[in-house]
Amino acid sequence: MSVDTEETHQRLKAAVHYTVGRLCQKIGEDHRRQFSRQAIAAIAETTFRQCDIFAKDLEAFARHAKRSTVSVDDVKLVARRSTALSIYIQNKSEELTQEHLGLKKKTTGKRKSIETEKSRE
Amino acid sequence: MAERDVEVSFKKDTVSKLLSSFFKEDKTKLSGDATLLMAEMLKVFVQEAAVRSQKQAESEDCDQVEIEHFEKILPQLLLDF
Repeated sequence: MSVDTEETHQRLKAAVHYTVGRLCQKIGEDHRRQFSRQAIAAIAETTFRQCDIFAKDLEAFARHAKRSTVSVDDVKLVARRSTALSIYIQNKSEELTQEHLGLKKKTTGKRKSIETEKSRE
Repeated sequence: MAERDVEVSFKKDTVSKLLSSFFKEDKTKLSGDATLLMAEMLKVFVQEAAVRSQKQAESEDCDQVEIEHFEKILPQLLLDF
């Protein structure tokens, strides 16, 4: 079992490293200063380890609320330390809610037009 | 023909597997929206790390961002998150 976890972690680390590399590349381009490979690797490793902390916190918050599924509210709590971050996450959360509502409206719209056509026939 | 930059972000699937692998209990799951928000959080984390490291390199008049620059800003980064 531990071998599986090790393999999974290696694959996940690689995936994180890839995205971190791309983000650093973009920021390097914006500021005309390249990131050394060592720096990118260090940022990727730190991000990976930070996920452990985030995950444990999320799990604890969900359990505290007597839930087994981590929700958006738990994520908002994880972002509590920085006001700017809290606001940013709050806004993103509202965006997601808007998207969900937007999708619902579209489906209702389609149904209405089909009904109108049927009544014409 | 100007192309818009493709937004770089963490894949929902990666974030989901990543966080799930660290949960202590098997029954703990992650909602879809929570996963998307965590992907945003991680992106912000990486961007903060990168921008702060970049500023550190700038303040030291260095051409490249080295691991030493990242190490200097790391303590404050972790405290802020």
